[in-house]
Amino acid sequence: MFTRGALLYIGQRLVLIVFTAVAVSSIVFLGVHRLPGDALLNERRPDPAAEAALLHYYHLDLPLAQQYVRYLTGILHGDLGESYVNRGVQITPLLLREARVSAEVGAAAIAFTIGLGVVLGVIAAVRQNTWVDYLATTTSVIGYSMPNFVIASLLFLLFGVFLYQWTGGAVYYNSGWTGSWGTLDQIIVPGFALGFPYASIVARLTRASMLEVIRQDYVRTARAKGLTARIVIIRHALRNALIPVVTILGPLVIGIVTGSVVIENIFGIPGLGKEFATSILNRDYNIVIGLFTFYAIIIALANLLVDLLYTVIDPRIRY
Amino acid sequence: MATAPGITEKFIEETLAHEQTSLWGDAWRRLRRNRLALASTVFLTLLILVAIVAQFWTPYTYYAEGIAPIYQGPSTQHLLGVDDFGRDILSRIMLGAQVSLKVGIGTQVIVIAVGVVVGLLAGFYRGFLDTIISTVINIFYGIPDLLVALTLVLLLGRSLGIIIFAIAFTQWMNMARLVRGQTLALREREFVEAARSGGAKANRIIFRHILPNALGPMIVQATIGVPMAILFEAFLSFLGLGVPPPTPSWGAMAADGFHAIRISPHIVLAPAIALSLTLMAFNFLGDGLRDALDPRQKR
Repeated sequence: MFTRGALLYIGQRLVLIVFTAVAVSSIVFLGVHRLPGDALLNERRPDPAAEAALLHYYHLDLPLAQQYVRYLTGILHGDLGESYVNRGVQITPLLLREARVSAEVGAAAIAFTIGLGVVLGVIAAVRQNTWVDYLATTTSVIGYSMPNFVIASLLFLLFGVFLYQWTGGAVYYNSGWTGSWGTLDQIIVPGFALGFPYASIVARLTRASMLEVIRQDYVRTARAKGLTARIVIIRHALRNALIPVVTILGPLVIGIVTGSVVIENIFGIPGLGKEFATSILNRDYNIVIGLFTFYAIIIALANLLVDLLYTVIDPRIRY
Repeated sequence: MATAPGITEKFIEETLAHEQTSLWGDAWRRLRRNRLALASTVFLTLLILVAIVAQFWTPYTYYAEGIAPIYQGPSTQHLLGVDDFGRDILSRIMLGAQVSLKVGIGTQVIVIAVGVVVGLLAGFYRGFLDTIISTVINIFYGIPDLLVALTLVLLLGRSLGIIIFAIAFTQWMNMARLVRGQTLALREREFVEAARSGGAKANRIIFRHILPNALGPMIVQATIGVPMAILFEAFLSFLGLGVPPPTPSWGAMAADGFHAIRISPHIVLAPAIALSLTLMAFNFLGDGLRDALDPRQKR
């Protein structure tokens, strides 16, 4: 599948990702230690001796340059250090565990985004200027005008409260996360809330590029040689209409990462997003720096994946 | 001046006046025909009025607690019910409109100021400067914006000004990229060439020829930027890092109401609906403005 050139390209990008991760964590590290709310240093503690011991434990008594070198060495060994709030908790394994939980919900969200978005977009384009089109177009503006916590509240009302009342408590959605793998409903409901706003954006894009593509000559040729509309749409038009959609997959991943901070808090999902909100409110700076590093890597990997997807969807593109 | 019989000076003037409808007059005519955009304009005008009225009068004091049994639903005394502290929700929604509009418009003022300067510099002078600016813009596109805004607010402190700054910090590049692209395209056009050969200085070309022609897309971008900023503020407030209480913010109200969603959904629904309607109105208006200002792009 991959030529030698492509593998070389992937290798280069992976090296670049390592640099990005180091750069991002450096910026956040220095930012956190330089800006007004300076890490642990500014926080008052009753006992000076205990405070000195604590600062020493986290090497915060060293000059900033030395702290930074220690931190960089750690990062290059895959060690993000220890939590400031819960002493003894190593950050790297903690984040890896939470990343899997977030990935489950994120995957559901991306599935909703692309599936729903493309289907709505294609339907709207094929039935352009009919009530189906207007319905799909209006739904999509409503979709990206609703903050995801509003969608989450509505879903919770519907499946958690009303469904409970209608079925007399037999079938209903309960937020939370049981066991290390969530159950299907625990993944799908938050996944929908997370993905729906972006599904609307994908739908708009798909519609616009589909409208352009179905007026092309080769689509008319395909119709003229007797293929059914359905086959022409799916096999000829959609493939090319998807190219602009692939472009926004990068921003989409960023959107899902940031959206998960809100959604995981609402639904009580123990993933990276909940960790971010918790540790930023607790001022657990080491975890915050680690999370930014983690997110930088995830986003960079997603962008790499998007660039590789181009070659699949448009064979003219080669690396 | 020889004119054909029957064609008076007045007739010529009227004909010319009719044909020379300005871009803005044209746009306004097209915008009026777009019912959704018009409805949005009306809604937003009302919202601004509500925000102004809230400065002087609200049905109840927004921070007065226990003026009705807590969690009480909508009634004739309290049209939207009261919240978990027994505060009147309608009064709080009215003041929340102020916060949302301040954040939305304040952010865009900064975004326009920064974006126009940076975009013009990159697009007009190109070269090394453009390389640097474009790289910075691309880096900003790669960062998780909400999380950066959150961290900034946490580090710099919670206040309306800092929240506006933090959101603008994660949004300026949208405007910068747009202005850069417009400038790059416009500076190659014949009328700019003509101005330059006429001896116009860079200043004059930028302010008389490039900026006015880029104004349409900039207005659209700013209109779309407002709901993004409002959404961000709602996120920050929802996570507990928004405008400090007791100032009511729709995001924070929704967050408070969410804990009681099982027993009294009206607490979360009121701010959620207000927020969604406002964002929707801005988005419809932005869409309408885009269609009105750039008819070639019309679907």
